[in-house]
Amino acid sequence: MANEPTGKDWDMNRISWGAPGIGRRAFLQSSSAGVAMAAANGAPAWAQGTPWADVPKSKVDKLNFVVWTYGDIYTKIAAKFKEDWGVTVDSTISAFNDHPPKLLSMFAGGESIDVSQSSPYSFWNFISQGLVEPMADMPGAAGYVADMTDMMKTVAVHNGKLMGMPYFSTTWVWNYFEPLLEKAKFEPFKTYEEFMEQCRKAKKDKISEYPVFWVAGVGLEQLPGTWLQMTHNKGGVFFDKAGNHQLGAGSIARETLKWWVQTFTEGLADPESLKQQFVGSAKAFSAGTNLYRGPNHHYTLQVANDPTQSPNAGKIKVMDSPGDGRTIGTAHVYFVTTANRNKEWAWKLLQYLGGRTKDGQYSQAINLAKDAMLGSGYNSVMNSEAISKGWAPYGDVPKILEIWKKTTFVGEVCNSMYKPWHFPWSDRLNIEVQKALTGQITADVACDNIIAAIRQVQRG
Amino acid sequence: MSGSAPVHRFGRELSPRVLGVVMNLPTLLILALVLAYPIYYAGYLSMHRVTLVQLRSGVFPFVGFDNYLKVLEDPLFLLSLGNTLLFTAFTVISEVVLAVMIAILINQQDIWTSRITRFLILLPYAVPPIANGLIWSFIYNGKLGFLNRLLYSVGAIDSPIDWTANPDTALYAVAVPYIWRTLPFAILLVHAALQGISKELFEAASVDGAGAWHRFRHITLPLIMPVIVVLLVLRTSFAVAVFDEILAITQGGPGDATWVASWYSYKKGFAPPFDIGAGAASAFLLALLVATLAFIYIKLLYRRVD
Repeated sequence: MANEPTGKDWDMNRISWGAPGIGRRAFLQSSSAGVAMAAANGAPAWAQGTPWADVPKSKVDKLNFVVWTYGDIYTKIAAKFKEDWGVTVDSTISAFNDHPPKLLSMFAGGESIDVSQSSPYSFWNFISQGLVEPMADMPGAAGYVADMTDMMKTVAVHNGKLMGMPYFSTTWVWNYFEPLLEKAKFEPFKTYEEFMEQCRKAKKDKISEYPVFWVAGVGLEQLPGTWLQMTHNKGGVFFDKAGNHQLGAGSIARETLKWWVQTFTEGLADPESLKQQFVGSAKAFSAGTNLYRGPNHHYTLQVANDPTQSPNAGKIKVMDSPGDGRTIGTAHVYFVTTANRNKEWAWKLLQYLGGRTKDGQYSQAINLAKDAMLGSGYNSVMNSEAISKGWAPYGDVPKILEIWKKTTFVGEVCNSMYKPWHFPWSDRLNIEVQKALTGQITADVACDNIIAAIRQVQRG
Repeated sequence: MSGSAPVHRFGRELSPRVLGVVMNLPTLLILALVLAYPIYYAGYLSMHRVTLVQLRSGVFPFVGFDNYLKVLEDPLFLLSLGNTLLFTAFTVISEVVLAVMIAILINQQDIWTSRITRFLILLPYAVPPIANGLIWSFIYNGKLGFLNRLLYSVGAIDSPIDWTANPDTALYAVAVPYIWRTLPFAILLVHAALQGISKELFEAASVDGAGAWHRFRHITLPLIMPVIVVLLVLRTSFAVAVFDEILAITQGGPGDATWVASWYSYKKGFAPPFDIGAGAASAFLLALLVATLAFIYIKLLYRRVD
């Protein structure tokens, strides 16, 4: 692609002008309106008149964003924004789990919040409760939407209106620990039956006490995500398009849960699985005592294969799911809140997080791809060297991109996430499934309780 | 000045009753601000529909007792309440018993280690609750945790036990770090009470032939009972509200094994769909529970002391 960001351009402060990530539509926009702005803001001539390089007519003293912690990326973005536009950006950064309460308390307290972020699970709640400012009418919005992946559009565009901008996207993959597979003389399994046979043999031969490590800690994505992914892989859903649950007797979801419970009953699953979130599970798996790690976000390979974090860096491999390999994925977004100070400037800041910086680069998306192995919500970034070279130190990029093509957005498999009762129902799901996995109840009872909980949480 | 009336700046001396009111007024005002108003406001929220939209607009539709009914009909709340009571009973009884035992031990002046022990015992109280939870989650780790290694090395177990992933042990596994963190406070209170008991009482009892158990039962225990009642009230109210260790170690799991009432209130109010009215109602019910328990303690135990 002519407009691919180059691999050397990842550092926000060193992004070159040579091959900026500008689409054809944006280029036409810039050509028609840009020249008059050339002297005004110091941007290169080609960037004048583009939504990312234009100076808003209004003025603000400062802006702010409320985000969850991720290294020092937000400090860098705030500094870059100040450098480019002369506007100070205050940041409120909390832990991932503390983010919704923090956002809630600031919003309720009448504080100004220009930009924030959301998981796909919270986003519909935020929209329905009036927290999210539509951005469809902002300059350049249509161009961004045109470049978005289908999965990202599902989250970011609501009733035809652009509500959020891409933070990152992921696909769910299986991992295996190569040395143990070689020791056992196994090839990565192709069917669930083969998986069970391999695990049983590995346990019997004392190659691994617990051959599989699941990501089954309590959470929105961890335990429910594992069940969802395997259900989807086997051709099932939790809810049909009309919103009817598909968890009854004989359903794929129920049978999948029974199968999953069996891995614990037979002592094949690591009990530590029940406590781990994504990153924790990647670290636990990188100890090298399990053969397989259940389906989860592809980007945790960055942890498992990072020599500074893993004693077995480079030995954790990625593999397809069984059958036709279909899997699930997610997309997280940034958004402007209705409590913003100034919509024009908030849009400008939003672009620094989820769009292009003043120089026309998808700087944040490129940095996240390189530093954290995160997928982008933009096709142009997904097709760039930011991915093909940026991910290479941590995993088999062609394999992951092949899996990416078989990825369905998680909301298509479990459309309750578009409903206000999804969170309390998800709590109940976590409880019942963990009780099933720990042998307190059967999978059938768990599913019956989960079905009953739908009616309870729908009452509010 | 002898023979003349005392000079008062404000003309005349305040009566004891008025003086008492004046002296207590600042405390009353502060308590009203930091305690009474939040309690009133929580009660107010619990009887209104409050989500993000209402919080922003400031208009809260009145719903009467709907939030209370909603919470009381939720099986998860009832289960959380049961877990809370079990957690409270286990931690409070353990703390009182341990506090009395340890306080008596470090009260022995003739034991040279008592000063060092006193210092070391206070250390856990300085650890922030969340940090305490994280430390213990490492200690409990099924494969790599210190506890399993210790038990294995002394031959107490044959294979690692996943203390926090097992529904039968998880609640107690959370209770232990909680006790470890809050026990020093209980020890301090009991120790202070022990120091107030006259040595002559024990000497006289010894002369009369009373053994250690009889001295404890008939002298020590009755005299420290008022402090134990205070301890019961305080420790119960704090244990009922346990949150940090749950958040750091189990987040309610495995399954619902460690869902406690404060975790329920938090999830109701601070996770989407942010039903703060229902969260406040559940918190208010919890406060009523604490008040009831405190009332029972005082009625039963203070009467015994009298």
